[in-house]
Amino acid sequence: MSTTTTTKTSGPVADTAYSAPRAEDLAALLVSARRPPRPSALSASLTFGWRAMLKIKHVPEQLFDVTAFPIMMVLMYTYLFGGALAGSATRYIQFLLPGILTMSVVMITMYTGVAVNTDIQKGVFDRFRTLPIWRPAPMVGYLLGDVIRYLIASAVMLAVGMLIGYRPDGGVVGVLAGVALLLVFSFAFSWIWTMFGLLLRTEKSVMGVSMMVIFPLTFLSNVFVDPRTMPGWLQAFVNNSPVTHVASAVRDLMAGGWPAADIAWSLGWAGVFVVVFGTVTMRLYNRK
Amino acid sequence: MSSTAAHAAAPARPVRSHALRDAATMLRRNLKRARRYPSLTATTVIMPVVMLLLFVYVFGGALGTGIAPVAGSGEAVRYVDYIAPGILLMAVTSGAIATAVAVAVDMTEGTVNRFRTMAISRASVLTGHVVGSLVQTAIGLVAVLGAALACGFRPNATVVEWAAALGVLMLLAFALTWVSAAMGLVAKTVESASNAPMPLTFLPFMGSSIVPPESMPGALRWFAEYQPFTPVNETLRGLLMGTPIGSSGPLALAWSAVLALAGYLWARRKARRAQR
Repeated sequence: MSTTTTTKTSGPVADTAYSAPRAEDLAALLVSARRPPRPSALSASLTFGWRAMLKIKHVPEQLFDVTAFPIMMVLMYTYLFGGALAGSATRYIQFLLPGILTMSVVMITMYTGVAVNTDIQKGVFDRFRTLPIWRPAPMVGYLLGDVIRYLIASAVMLAVGMLIGYRPDGGVVGVLAGVALLLVFSFAFSWIWTMFGLLLRTEKSVMGVSMMVIFPLTFLSNVFVDPRTMPGWLQAFVNNSPVTHVASAVRDLMAGGWPAADIAWSLGWAGVFVVVFGTVTMRLYNRK
Repeated sequence: MSSTAAHAAAPARPVRSHALRDAATMLRRNLKRARRYPSLTATTVIMPVVMLLLFVYVFGGALGTGIAPVAGSGEAVRYVDYIAPGILLMAVTSGAIATAVAVAVDMTEGTVNRFRTMAISRASVLTGHVVGSLVQTAIGLVAVLGAALACGFRPNATVVEWAAALGVLMLLAFALTWVSAAMGLVAKTVESASNAPMPLTFLPFMGSSIVPPESMPGALRWFAEYQPFTPVNETLRGLLMGTPIGSSGPLALAWSAVLALAGYLWARRKARRAQR
């Protein structure tokens, strides 16, 4: 004998409970009456910039290059070679610090390309491309996030410089003007590495290419010594290098001068980098 | 079939081969590997050459004038003549990285475990690495010296002084190779093995290789004067350029001997522990 009892339910209650929901009712539940506004270009870029900042928070080791490496460079060149190059370490730091500040910030721009490449490898970029946002926002976001890193590097280096005897005659205004120019240039220069980040397959190859470009540019400049002490053929390159123009401009601004020509050259180079490499980067990004 | 017959049928165990012959085989293996993968050897040559070019052409003019008063010269020093011995020293120290990496590769890839099952001299693996590294360092030194001569380095050494300079360099190379072999044995990964000898490559900078210690501030000057690479550098400079050597010669030999012994004992201890 079966103990199972079957209950037969009929009537309007049963129909309401088990009938398929109507499309209109579902739509009313899932989609609000008004579609949220599309984020502006600035808003999207700032959001991606904030994402880059959060990366620093979660992986603080990446700040090692922004802090430890520049400090080592300042101390090494000031104390090891300062006496031989300028008679004393204190005298040499006045010349060296703005130059090495330029060099360090320009050198850490290459991590932008590495970050872009890492995101591509992980597939995060494919997700970004499906979002209804301004197309260049992820790229601009990387660069905006990196500007904060450049600021940290600048602050650390200036603090160390002041501790070991650097005294900028331009005061706070001169220092801020110098750092601002450096940040503008570095933001523009970073577009080169975003291009390589999209172009090359691995992180290591991005780093390798970056080093091959950055090392000659930074060392073959007026960062460490006056180009007049170099052989003629080398002077021709050094005097026309973008890093030389930026280093000269930053040095003079911090010393209280107004080097109009060097500022113009620096901003001109920055414009060229954005126009050329920004365009190439976006073309590569859209094709990816 | 009796057990006696079975014993008779089994091949006799191979006689333990001579340590020297085993070491020669391992040396041949290391040289073959260096030929097949030349990138590491190239790096050990490229690094000192880049430093040479950088310091001669970018800093040379300023440093040549700057070190003149310290060097006791009225006019600007030919900086290439001052720095070249130090660059040769850097060629030796950068060769040490290659040894550490090669040993670490063998340790991490399980090659040493295979060698352990073979009837070969235990010491031959490390000996092969060390001698192989010395051969590579000698080739590297020739390349770096060629670059220095091309940049205008003009030593005034006799044949005997050249031989003595080469002897000093190879003795230091021998010492550093044992130290870096030990570092390779200690390293958990190939990456950490390539980073471990970095201080060795950095020490010549903090000696008399690039600028005289007299131009440095107090504590740094003291360190530069008493660290192991300064007497070696001064000995080389004396032999190649005719500057006074003084007590640097015996000190250079003593430092090299101490480093070689310490490196050898450290490497032997680590190798024995690894082979247990």
